[in-house]
Amino acid sequence: MVGIGFRKDFAEEFLNSSVLQPSFIEAAPENWIGVGGYWKKLLMQALEKYPLFVHGLSLSIGSPDPLDFDFLRKIKSFLKETQALVYSEHLSYAKCDNAHLYDLLPIPFTYDAVDHVSERIQQVQDLLQQKIAIEIVSYYTPVAPEMTELEFINAVLKKSGSDLLLDVNNVYVNSFNHHYDPYKFIDGLSVENVSYIHMAGHLKIADDLIIDTHGEAIIDPVYKLFEYTMDKLKKDVPVLLERDFNIPDLADLQQEIRQLAQIKKTALKQKSYETA
Amino acid sequence: MKLLETTWNHQSELAIFCRTGRYNPIPGVNEKHVSQYRQLVYNVVDDTLQSAFPLTHHLLTPKEWDGLVNDFFSSHPCQSPQIWTMPKELWAWVANKRSPLLKKYPFLDELLWFEWLEIELFMMEDKTTACKPEGNLKKDKLVLNPEHHLKHFTYPVHLKNAKYITPSDKGHYFLMMHREKVTGKVNFTNLSPFLARMLEILSEKPFTFKELIEQTSTEFEVATDQQLEEDVIQFLDNSVRSGLISGFQ
Ligand SMILES: [Fe+2]
Repeated sequence: MVGIGFRKDFAEEFLNSSVLQPSFIEAAPENWIGVGGYWKKLLMQALEKYPLFVHGLSLSIGSPDPLDFDFLRKIKSFLKETQALVYSEHLSYAKCDNAHLYDLLPIPFTYDAVDHVSERIQQVQDLLQQKIAIEIVSYYTPVAPEMTELEFINAVLKKSGSDLLLDVNNVYVNSFNHHYDPYKFIDGLSVENVSYIHMAGHLKIADDLIIDTHGEAIIDPVYKLFEYTMDKLKKDVPVLLERDFNIPDLADLQQEIRQLAQIKKTALKQKSYETA
Repeated sequence: MKLLETTWNHQSELAIFCRTGRYNPIPGVNEKHVSQYRQLVYNVVDDTLQSAFPLTHHLLTPKEWDGLVNDFFSSHPCQSPQIWTMPKELWAWVANKRSPLLKKYPFLDELLWFEWLEIELFMMEDKTTACKPEGNLKKDKLVLNPEHHLKHFTYPVHLKNAKYITPSDKGHYFLMMHREKVTGKVNFTNLSPFLARMLEILSEKPFTFKELIEQTSTEFEVATDQQLEEDVIQFLDNSVRSGLISGFQ
């Protein structure tokens, strides 16, 4: 199955036409918890048609600050109310010194951070009584690293037992910004933990820097890396097209969904895996 | 806590940089690219505040606006995990801190409040109330739409272009905002003190037209003549049409 990020920017057009045909939608709980009126109606309409994946933004799993259990309980109710299939969050932090920053900051790749983050993932899983998927984020600078990004991610997965939300575009962006081979990165990744894939576009703002904007179409090298990833995976997993800004015609988004589905289909044909 | 103090400090330094733009060297950091984080964070906060407060953004000079956003975000730790409610914190911060901008714009806190209330009402969770859609305006008990804000302002932030509000405008202004059930749109009704009090009474529980006008007239020490009754009926009739009155009991 291939889904689309449910954005207010195109929610109405999406629901009033049949141009865009995702298998599921993904939404950030932060944008919908405690919301009624017009937006709630649209969300309810969407939920009648599509299963929901929930992708959090502000839990700040990698923060030195204590976990916000009050907010986590609200997320738990939201997951129940919307019958969400998945809850995922980012391997990053978005709050520090008791202040929300509303963006995803890179966690230092250190041994103590592995322990800290893993413990918190387990606390979240315990409270939600379900496994969560943790996403590899784009980052523009390392911070006091003691190990590589790959070692850090694998260590967290091993220690926490969480699933991995593999954002293939983020791997591409990071490999460009930090000069490594994205294929080798995928080879080294603990792929058995991958339960969900994100695909998106990005923006190259300088010769040596790509920003993960979700504001452009997916580029061919990222499709290629996705193809490679699908070949490597020993199972079918849901794939999401993320498009947050600079929204094109819905027909263009549907074309991207089709392309992702096609790549998946081809990869899976070669092996007789069950479909997701 | 399994996190070492050094890791914590490095994370804190990066966060402080994002909030203030002041960078203290952190080991291993790419000093050229780290600026992206400050920019990304600042842009998100600035964009969110600009779209929440278009009137205030229009009123202030670019320098005043940037100063406000910077002061707020660097000195106030934002508490809301939901960014759409963060603008409320700017309003509270300006009102509590008695921002120096209030000297030049004494109505600034009310303008921010007015702009925030519209968002809050548009976004608020649905509230339902039991009532019949049809009824007799003069005999039945009237049910006020629970999705409303009834507010008192000392400056006409809802009536006048903020650029033209002066200290001489200071007075008592009453505003009713309500959310239409079907479209979810927010409606504004400017009220006389009499009607404001009447609606306040009605917000407590359903009353008939007679009960409402009697109680309000007694409080205001005015006689209920035919003209007043006709005016009130007209207002209530409009209120049913606009959805400010949800129905009858
Ligand atoms: Fe992603």
